[in-house]
Amino acid sequence: MNASVVTPIGAPVRRKEDHRFITGKGRYTDDLSRPGQAHAYFLRSPYAHARIRAIDTSAAIDMPGVVAVLTGKDLAQDGLGGLICGWMIHSKDGSPMNAGAHPALALDTVRYVGDHVAVIIAETLNAAKDAAAAVVVDYEILPAVADLAQAQAEGGPVIHDVAPRNTVFEWELGDKAGTEAAFARAAHVTAIDIVNNRLAPNPMEPRAAIGDYDAGDDAFTLWTTSQNPHVARLVLSAFVGLAPENKLRVIAPDVGGGFGSKIFIYAEETVCAWASKRVGRPVKWTCERGEAFLCDAHGRDHITRGELALDGEGRILGFRVKTTANMGAYLSTFSSCVPTYLYATLLSGQYAIPAIYCEVDAVYTNTAPVDAYRGAGRPEATFLVERIIDKAARELGMDPAEMRRRNFVTAFPHQTPVIMCYDAGDYGASLDKALALADYTGFPARKAEAERRGRLRGIGLSAYIEACGIAPSAAVGSLGAGVGLWESAEVRVNPTGNVEVLTGSHSHGQGHETTFAQLVSARLGIPIDQVSVVHGDTDKVQFGMGTYGSRSGAVGMSAIVKALDKVEAKAKKIAAHVLEASEGDIEFKDGRFTVAGTDRGLAFAEVALNAYVAHKFPTSEIEPGLKEGAFYDPSNFTFPAGCHVCELEVDPETGVTQIVNWVAVDDFGTVINPMIVEGQVHGGIAQGVGQALMERVAYDNDGQLVTGSYMDYQMPRAEDLPSFTLGLTETRCPSNPLGMKGCGEAGAIAAPPAVINALTDALGTQDISMPATPAKLWAVAQARVTRRAAE
Amino acid sequence: MALEMTGSYDIPVPREKVWEALNDPAILKRCIPGCEELERTGETELRALVVAKVGPVKAKFKGKVFLSELDPPSGYRISGEGDGGIAGFAKGGAKVELSETQAGTTLVYTAEAQIGGKLAQLGQRLVAGTAKKTADEFFKNFAEAVTGETHEGV
Amino acid sequence: MYAFDYQRPSFSQDAVSMMRSLEEPKLLAGGQTLLPTLKQRLAQPGTLVDLSRIPDLSGISVAGDVLRIGAMTRHAEVATSDLVHAHSPALAELAGMIGDPAVRNRGTIGGSLANNDPSADYPAAALALGATLVTDRRRLAASDFFRGLFETALEEDELILAVEFPKSGPAAYRKFRNPASRYAMAGVFVVRGADGVRVAVTGVGQEGVFRWKEAEAALTARFAPDALEGIALDPHTAMSDLHGDGAYRAQLTKVMARRAVEAIGG
Repeated sequence: MNASVVTPIGAPVRRKEDHRFITGKGRYTDDLSRPGQAHAYFLRSPYAHARIRAIDTSAAIDMPGVVAVLTGKDLAQDGLGGLICGWMIHSKDGSPMNAGAHPALALDTVRYVGDHVAVIIAETLNAAKDAAAAVVVDYEILPAVADLAQAQAEGGPVIHDVAPRNTVFEWELGDKAGTEAAFARAAHVTAIDIVNNRLAPNPMEPRAAIGDYDAGDDAFTLWTTSQNPHVARLVLSAFVGLAPENKLRVIAPDVGGGFGSKIFIYAEETVCAWASKRVGRPVKWTCERGEAFLCDAHGRDHITRGELALDGEGRILGFRVKTTANMGAYLSTFSSCVPTYLYATLLSGQYAIPAIYCEVDAVYTNTAPVDAYRGAGRPEATFLVERIIDKAARELGMDPAEMRRRNFVTAFPHQTPVIMCYDAGDYGASLDKALALADYTGFPARKAEAERRGRLRGIGLSAYIEACGIAPSAAVGSLGAGVGLWESAEVRVNPTGNVEVLTGSHSHGQGHETTFAQLVSARLGIPIDQVSVVHGDTDKVQFGMGTYGSRSGAVGMSAIVKALDKVEAKAKKIAAHVLEASEGDIEFKDGRFTVAGTDRGLAFAEVALNAYVAHKFPTSEIEPGLKEGAFYDPSNFTFPAGCHVCELEVDPETGVTQIVNWVAVDDFGTVINPMIVEGQVHGGIAQGVGQALMERVAYDNDGQLVTGSYMDYQMPRAEDLPSFTLGLTETRCPSNPLGMKGCGEAGAIAAPPAVINALTDALGTQDISMPATPAKLWAVAQARVTRRAAE
Repeated sequence: MALEMTGSYDIPVPREKVWEALNDPAILKRCIPGCEELERTGETELRALVVAKVGPVKAKFKGKVFLSELDPPSGYRISGEGDGGIAGFAKGGAKVELSETQAGTTLVYTAEAQIGGKLAQLGQRLVAGTAKKTADEFFKNFAEAVTGETHEGV
Repeated sequence: MYAFDYQRPSFSQDAVSMMRSLEEPKLLAGGQTLLPTLKQRLAQPGTLVDLSRIPDLSGISVAGDVLRIGAMTRHAEVATSDLVHAHSPALAELAGMIGDPAVRNRGTIGGSLANNDPSADYPAAALALGATLVTDRRRLAASDFFRGLFETALEEDELILAVEFPKSGPAAYRKFRNPASRYAMAGVFVVRGADGVRVAVTGVGQEGVFRWKEAEAALTARFAPDALEGIALDPHTAMSDLHGDGAYRAQLTKVMARRAVEAIGG
């Protein structure tokens, strides 16, 4: 679609930002250099758990080109605080979570391989690396625990003194007694044990930072790969104590993917900012891929037992869940809310479940911190719900689709037993459409045909729901959040009628420069190339909460709509004066203000010019200019939902899985740009398939990371995926003005159970864990042959 | 990454001589693959410099070798740990048991190895093979050295 | 990387003399293993001797029944060469299956053989096809060349000039790629020669490439896919790592061998 046209909502407008990206003109943090900049390299612990007896930096400081070698003592000397976790969780007994101190540079203990021991700042990165080898650290190696299942053992290694048995909290949600009662009257109970595998986020652009202290202004600037620069500034100001907010500017320029991993406030970025003052020079750090595997917050990593109580007809009576969640060695910025309020609140799935009770133990291990990763808690919940209902269907001899249909929520609003109130949806519609697109009834014939070719074919469903549009501030505040989760926007109309939209959302691949502009273009009736989107700079955008949790549409764009409402209202007042009509008679349509019932009118740009020249209206009543801001706080979460169908074949000789068909039917409410939505769904499915079949961060028993590169950490490739068949159903979200629900995480949430359910169907066993690698599936296929022979 | 390996060698040399060789830094230095320096620093402690070479990787480990569970002349435990700087670290050890046979001595070892840091992160696929090769080479070298040494002495 | 000196000789004999005279020299062929290692600071050569500008070292020719591939010939050239396709189509196929396009356009046959990575592809072809490695001082049969994990018969200062492949009977290479790295987890090169069948296996042996004698005997007796049914590789001799244990690799070896036999047409 041509850029110089008005772009309606629902049009597949090409991404405005792509020209910049695909011609190499993107401006990522590592592309930037500051005059006089020095380079930082972090010396990291090779041990999973050790006491630091002494650090001798003297030889390193004397190395050529070295500017400074700094340790945790230097940080402490300057009075800087540690990194924080911004969400307080209370245990069942009411006690607050046991959060261990998290210094940006280790003080006396290192707690995972990759933990930050010292920073070497030098003229070049190579000089810094040379000097790092000359830093002598005297470690007293301590016993480590990396295995989640062992972490709470009595008498095991203690990672933080404040957390006995490495337990951060023992949390619960739901109605314990009511759930017990449901089980007491159950005709059938289905139980499942699940390991939700640990994942590395792997954004294409690794993290990077440049800290630059201006002694003249006594102010810092930090360029960094952040999904939420204002939150970074808030944390660095209010908790780390780097500088007051008015003396700290955080800029997140072009950012190449995040998947959650760039939400958090990490040690390296903090240290670069601080060190720039300490050494009096800008300090730059760019993460290497190997460091990213070590230190970017990982995702998932749960062990769960789930039990489903059913009546004689396959209706769910109750659901009981016990999860142990790995937090890693420290609590990362939002880590505590992921296995709690982003997880257990979704355990009702798309189903009317009368009673749910969930317990979650969060534990420390000597591994990298774990925090939000695409979906954050909701994929873990969906995997559990969609696996156990599938297993229950097979145990009861029911068709998995029928089992789901029998338990769907059908009336809205629907209050679940786990906080969430579903506002709108039609789960039967998405299931029906998905089954039709997947030719579900034709599957047995395809399975038989595959068997003749020696392939084991399976089909799997995933009827997912997620809570997006994060989040109503008061609600999350009552659950322990340290911040509100509204969003802000400012619409600046220039005198010539073009527009700058300043948003607190942050685009790092989502295409906001296009969709946000598309919204403004449609609303104001001006061509899309006359709308620019400004984001990612705390000096330009007043405040914002950033992008994660599929919130930029439902929350970020709602703030823009609110600001646009104000712009339109003021413009109508001005138009009324210019047109010498009464304000109530002014209509705005297709970019023109007209006097109702006449042919008199003004283009939007003419009103904008009038607003700024201010010749034709009383400035005592109406201020000159046309610029409006808004803060939008959602009244509810949004609930994207849908049904994915995965059909695959396993080669029993090699254990290789080939996905032969994928149908995704999603209900995202209103869709602004279907092309961008499809891209989000494609990427999400790819990541979900990665989790199901390929990806796994592995530590050995000593806490050594053994998947530290792409030699051993398998990412999905294009050839691993089929062409997807996508379909949409639409129920408007009633809680925001555009009716949007969000689409950024759906694929990653829906995909894993669809794949594993298809594998259980293909192989005839429920005993398949993620990632279902070829080696694992070959062993399963072998066992199947042995089992059949025995029968 | 922890690994375990076992092996045994028949050495046509009396057990006492094998035991002596097991305690001789000069012999040990010749037998430890890549060992450039090995100096006794105490009764049961030695200082070592070992250059480990696996394909294109060449890492220098500075460390210590300890002798423990001494049970002359039936065996001991030899263990070592080395700091390879940016490459990471390596630790390893072997329980060595000597038994008399008609032909001389049978040496049985049970070795374990562990690596950490960058080598563990990047070299997963090569760890087992390298550890096994290193242990095999050491005991093969040792069996040859002690045989040659003793025969030269005769 | 650590700092190093860099030399780019124009003649192979200069490269050899540099290897003798310089402090800690290292030959740079395609660099597909060496450069990542240097970037990780896991090696610190004094001088890199870059072989890329020695004209004699690259190129493909056929003389009589012998296919000669210069040591610095890139995988992509071998994969697309008409001469190789005509002489040893399975070798061309193998070259086209190495790594990814970037690797194939930089990596060289000589570099791969000299490195003798236990999961590299070329060693299987060299061993199965009975290649001869021509160095600056001698001719080495492939069967004498590979000496275990990353070890070869090459002396420290010895340079491979070319690899010669005799004309063989029908051959095929089948590979199961490591799902993460795309190295061979089991690569099996089968040649049906006049004097018997040769089966070389890479990615499986703890000491690198090897000939699977039991399979050779079975296939020599009767060249058919099901001839392999009764035999199995000992899982304890196979590599084991987080991608698959010895039993899985033994299974893959058998399946790849059978598929290679099927491709040849048993």
